[in-house]
Amino acid sequence: MIYLDNAATTMIKPESVGRAMLTAMNSAASPGRGGHRPAMRAAEIVFHCRENAAELFNVPEPERIVFTMNATHALNIAIRSLAHAGSRVLVSGYEHNSVTRPLAQLGARVDIASSRLFDREEILKAFAKKISGADLVICTHVSNVFGFILPVYEIAELCRRHKVPLIVDASQSAGILDVDYLTLGADFIAMPGHKSLFGPQGTGLLICGRAGEPLLCGGSGSDSIPQVMPDYLPDRMEAGTHNVPGIAGLSAGISYVRGLGLQRIFAHEQELLGVMLSGLEGCRGIELFAGPEGSQSGVLSFRCIGPDCEDLAQGLADRGICVRGGLHCAPFAHRSAGTLGTGTVRASFSPFTDAAGVRKAAAAIRELLHSTV
Amino acid sequence: MQYLIMCRSLTYAQRAAALLEGKGISAVVVKAPQGLSSSGCGYAVSLYRRFGEAVAILRANKLLNGKLFKRGDGGEYTEVQSRDIS
Repeated sequence: MIYLDNAATTMIKPESVGRAMLTAMNSAASPGRGGHRPAMRAAEIVFHCRENAAELFNVPEPERIVFTMNATHALNIAIRSLAHAGSRVLVSGYEHNSVTRPLAQLGARVDIASSRLFDREEILKAFAKKISGADLVICTHVSNVFGFILPVYEIAELCRRHKVPLIVDASQSAGILDVDYLTLGADFIAMPGHKSLFGPQGTGLLICGRAGEPLLCGGSGSDSIPQVMPDYLPDRMEAGTHNVPGIAGLSAGISYVRGLGLQRIFAHEQELLGVMLSGLEGCRGIELFAGPEGSQSGVLSFRCIGPDCEDLAQGLADRGICVRGGLHCAPFAHRSAGTLGTGTVRASFSPFTDAAGVRKAAAAIRELLHSTV
Repeated sequence: MQYLIMCRSLTYAQRAAALLEGKGISAVVVKAPQGLSSSGCGYAVSLYRRFGEAVAILRANKLLNGKLFKRGDGGEYTEVQSRDIS
């Protein structure tokens, strides 16, 4: 099997992740509940992961790291904390449904900072043009469809200048690019645990620049008498028992990322992107969405003249090559790129992807296209 | 003599204990006695030595946000005022 669907989930994990999960499952109880050894062991696992994440994302206080089920959960907390019916929310044209659907449900007025794909200057200008009067800005760091790296630090600076709160969706950048809480100064930064942080599915993080509104209320193991959630982080945002084995795995994954280093991970994925592009160069019947150097992460979308993108993805799946076809839960991004009617096939890399696998995938794509075009 | 430093949450208690351990002061996180908390369940840092030094370190690092207690030989808790710590 050649696994190239890492933008959805990094299925291949460091061995330490599974080991940590198993150990937690067999030794840890509920954190913040009892004072016995298994409960305190759980508390240690959770705290260690908070510290580990705080180090990676340059967060001085580990209590600002809130555990969620995934990035969607984290984004819903952040959005419901800052947006309301009628709020004017400025977003990039590359947002995922996990941003746009909560906004639609709230009845917020969504305004799009439009730009051509991979045009970092144009998107920054679009934000600058529209930011005045916005109640909130939400921006993805990297497009999940195209790997377009948005100038999120410059957009954050713009938000600070205009005193507009900012939510950053770091779903496709956490564990690959530098996501620096202090430098960004964002109100919230949301991310999954199961992508490039190598945690298991069902884990996510919300970095809180402020105490938001809890999406869930319930037991926090603290201040049990008042019938409102505590006003301090992380307890305010974490009702119910934590996913301790998941958090143990996530912590092991973060340790792996920190050990390898972001620069090395990014460089490896850039190399693989180059291998895939070379492998498909000159291929008839294919449109590749590749950006200039520095504007694209290890995510490559393409579409075909002829076969439906889902048919091509299935053809690759039948050959043991795992990619994702369709709209990738991001119709805004496809609309921006002009691919809404067709969708694309997306290949995405990780440190566990090797060049030989990518070459084989490129050859398989060529073969499939030549048999159908 | 056992001392308890009440903390606003488990995470704060863990931060406080880790900081003190890093300074060579033995400290562990414990569940706070119910009788010492007016708002229900909570956590505290327990230590037996270098209490005054520990309080000063936590204050300097903005981690002192709860009451302080000492436990007598009979198991009773007495609140310790910051001004009384030498």
